[in-house]
Amino acid sequence: MDIRQETSAQTQASTTAGLPVAGPRAEQRARSGWASLSRIGRHVAIYGVLIVIAILVLAPLEWVAASSFTTRETVWKHVLPFSWRAFLPDHFTLDGYRQIFEAGYGRTMANTFVLGTVTVVLSLTVGSLAGFTFARFEFRGKRFLWAVTLISFMVPYEATVIPAYTLVNDLGWINSWQALIVPAIANGTVIFLFRQFFAEIPQDLIDAGRVDGATWPRILAGIVLPLTRPVIITSAIIIFLSQWNSFFWPQLVAPDAKYRVVQVAVNILGVEQQTSYWDRLFAATTIAALVPLVLVIPLQRYYVSSIVSSGIKG
Amino acid sequence: MARSERWTPYLFLLPAMVLLLFWRLVPLAAGLRESFYGNALNLTTGREWVGLDNFRYLFDDPTFWKSIRVTFLFNAIVNPLQVALAVLLALVANQKVRGIAFFRTILLLPVAISINIATLAWGIALDTNYGLVNGILEAVGLERQPFLRSADQAMPTMVAIVSWIGVPFWMLFILAGLQSIPGDLIEAARIDGATRVKAFFGITLPLLRRVILFVLVADTVINFTLFAPPYLLTRGGPSQTTNLMMYDAWKRGFVYGDLGSSAAMVTILLGMLCLVLLFQFAFLRPKH
Repeated sequence: MDIRQETSAQTQASTTAGLPVAGPRAEQRARSGWASLSRIGRHVAIYGVLIVIAILVLAPLEWVAASSFTTRETVWKHVLPFSWRAFLPDHFTLDGYRQIFEAGYGRTMANTFVLGTVTVVLSLTVGSLAGFTFARFEFRGKRFLWAVTLISFMVPYEATVIPAYTLVNDLGWINSWQALIVPAIANGTVIFLFRQFFAEIPQDLIDAGRVDGATWPRILAGIVLPLTRPVIITSAIIIFLSQWNSFFWPQLVAPDAKYRVVQVAVNILGVEQQTSYWDRLFAATTIAALVPLVLVIPLQRYYVSSIVSSGIKG
Repeated sequence: MARSERWTPYLFLLPAMVLLLFWRLVPLAAGLRESFYGNALNLTTGREWVGLDNFRYLFDDPTFWKSIRVTFLFNAIVNPLQVALAVLLALVANQKVRGIAFFRTILLLPVAISINIATLAWGIALDTNYGLVNGILEAVGLERQPFLRSADQAMPTMVAIVSWIGVPFWMLFILAGLQSIPGDLIEAARIDGATRVKAFFGITLPLLRRVILFVLVADTVINFTLFAPPYLLTRGGPSQTTNLMMYDAWKRGFVYGDLGSSAAMVTILLGMLCLVLLFQFAFLRPKH
């Protein structure tokens, strides 16, 4: 069938169906009345849906952020009865922020940053070594060890929390940094991402290093690692966010105020001081939500690819 | 040199394997083992082997059965709903219109923030007495709703909150799947006279099958073992209508100190989860 016949068949189809069909000729048809109207209609519908979804996503977050700059007394003023001014700070103030920082939120944030950073460094070291080995070595038991990695990666974390807590308790690690760091170091997703990445590096590059007599650690550090920027950024985001966002584990194994992390602080404000100190709760929540967003939005290309590749290929 | 090289891969894998074993697989095995042990601590013999007693105890407990019903009901609603909405949202996010990149960025916000913050913010927004949503309902002339405080509405409200996080997350996978479908394929079908709807059901959806199956399975794992929303918002109530099994297991272990029945509950939950996943694979796996 040549192109001309195809086009005529298409025209016929669209006339008999009585509906305009978008396609390679859409622009041409768009100039005639109905088609262009339906094109406009389509755009109106798409933007309508986009706006509704965007409002559903943004409204609660925006409301929390706006309320964090509002005085405790007026925080509900525009909520009941409702007016759109609920989404703007009423009597702008930084009082909530001042109070939480006076109560140690700065220390809490520093704790979480250090915890996240240390875990990232350890997790990338362990994960890149394992990923490299799975991608580049042949050895006895490789399939078995890979299966172990995959299984441990698929076991739902929640189902192992209680026994893991018992383990931490037996080790005498309750209220310690290692209780927060050590269980988070080996991460199946990170091992997986590094394996994918190393599997795609050309063998010639590595052979060249081997011929020059370089040892494996030298090859890894000198040849391979400089190429790994994307996978390092991606893995670092996963690990840092998982530490920044975790609330249940730290609350369980390190309840002492000395080890307080951001999400635990938010929960304490939310549960214990809810009824009176709204300004503090909203301020702490805003900061706790803002940090992941500041990290993820500029790096979203890496973030999305990390999420998607860990899933689809797995 | 060759001799030392033979051990190199094992050396490189050692830290990762030890840590995975110690923190993922050992706790899993310990949990399964715990289901067969009692709570009384005997100083000479340690915990006592009680066989199936923990399971028998659970089977006689109406709370356990209620919790199973609630978990299944919750999953029967939330998983198909999230997958369907994620597909629809991916179709919207895949439209090539101006500003779509900005829209996709907005959709990342619920994915990036913690479940803790998301449930907390929605919990306050949906509060019966002072919540934002009730304010808006009243402003448009509708009645206030109790949401999480009513036995009828708590579960649907929890489904909505969980989906606010889940749908944009799973959308990312479906969107990636959509973008991997060659545009020519759909274009060709459209030239042959297929409508948009027909092209979607005839071509796009079958090609997305693998991704959708993955999303369904992964979503099911997460929602079967869901813990944070009942823990943070409802404490399983009202009248145990949101008493999901993972939350109930935690409560048995940590609040009532009954580690045996808590572990047995997790064992049953994992067993049921495996069955559900097998079922999903058997019926939905692409046939080729």
